Amino acid sequence: MNLDFSQIVPYIPFMLEGIWATLEFVIVSILIGLVLGTLLALCKITKAPLLKGLADVYTSIFRGTPLILQLMIIYFAVPQLTGYDIPAFLSAILAFGLNSAAYVSEIIRAGIMAVDKGQTEAAEALGVPYRPMMFNIILPQAIKNILPALMNEFITLTKESAIVSTIGYLDLMRRAQIVGADIYRNFEPLLVAGAIYWIMIFVLTKVGQAVERRMRQSD
Amino acid sequence: MIKAKDITKVFGKNTVLKNISTTINQGEVVTVIGPSGSGKSTFLRCLNLLEEPTSGEIFIQDRKINDKKANKLEIRKNIGMVFQHFHLFPHMTVLENVIYAPQKVKNQSKTEAEKIAKDLLAKVGLTDKEDAYPNRLSGGQKQRVAIARALAMEPEIMLFDEPTSALDPEMVKEVLDVMKDLVNTGMTMVIVTHEMNFAKEVADKVLFLDDGVLLEEADPKQFFEKPQTDRARDFLDKVL
Repeated sequence: MNLDFSQIVPYIPFMLEGIWATLEFVIVSILIGLVLGTLLALCKITKAPLLKGLADVYTSIFRGTPLILQLMIIYFAVPQLTGYDIPAFLSAILAFGLNSAAYVSEIIRAGIMAVDKGQTEAAEALGVPYRPMMFNIILPQAIKNILPALMNEFITLTKESAIVSTIGYLDLMRRAQIVGADIYRNFEPLLVAGAIYWIMIFVLTKVGQAVERRMRQSD
Repeated sequence: MIKAKDITKVFGKNTVLKNISTTINQGEVVTVIGPSGSGKSTFLRCLNLLEEPTSGEIFIQDRKINDKKANKLEIRKNIGMVFQHFHLFPHMTVLENVIYAPQKVKNQSKTEAEKIAKDLLAKVGLTDKEDAYPNRLSGGQKQRVAIARALAMEPEIMLFDEPTSALDPEMVKEVLDVMKDLVNTGMTMVIVTHEMNFAKEVADKVLFLDDGVLLEEADPKQFFEKPQTDRARDFLDKVL
């Protein structure tokens, strides 16, 4: 067994900083995905064919191509096209946010469709306009049902975030690689990074379960 | 006053309502009866435009409501509806269910809406359930909350779509009692029901629908004792 963790000790602070670097853009990406995904889901259930068509095309493109390709296009191809030298962080939140929105929109759409039609009718019969009906009556019930699926999406996104290392963004993964190259040992830094990812997902899962419990209050 | 003129409703190849015309006066209680699938519920749902009639006209207080220009939300503010399956908002407490629409639709303040809601919940005998969530309630309690929720909008007309059909037998009475109280306040009510005794007791007028056709429109006493059509006689023989 050729294992020696003592050599990476000086690099620990450097690697720990990667947690925040990762979390920072994961959180922003999740928020973008949620907001845009909700809007797309609402477009998908409208009767307006143009909005529905656009939302469907959007989903098809972002689900139909690899995330790493979307990331590369945003980071490497945008400067070529526009001359704007896009920062890695911005590229990352755009790629992950836009990609996640496609998945989230499908999850939310399914959640909305699963809410009893009687809820819509009850709200309509009371004269409640579309927007408050959606945001106060339908979406809260939909979100409750789709919370496990949403958590799954967030977990996937957190782990997939490691591919930003390919555009040089100093996330946890990239830092593990740098440490590995520095000390000519890869196993230890990768193991540490793996443990940190696992802990992050574990915490995320617990948070998800707590939110779920809170939302089940009315059961 | 509600006036229906030649209402026809077609779903795909099915004509569920065939040229129904009737007038329901202010303060009148009308019960709609007939076999399953006769179009009773569809007729009721046309009155607040949950279904749009394929043809024909509906007037409420002399205003045509099934019109492109008519504001559905505005019309519905004035018409309460109670459903067979209650359709309470499950993520809100009883009180929140009742105050939601008055706050959102009529811009009532929370205090004002709560005051009205508490009065109504007292009237339907559910003061102690204010903070309960709907799935803690029995069917009869849910339906009484649903009635309170509809009444909180202070409508002039109330529509009931088989309000007791989803209830256990021992809970039917508590809901019918609340409805009887409402009859006594002079509310205009249209009630689709299978409770024949109730229909006979409270109605000013009975509508009998069969296969989408309004076969009889009569005084309850006359209808239940001497139905004019064979179809109605046959139906009453089976259910009474």
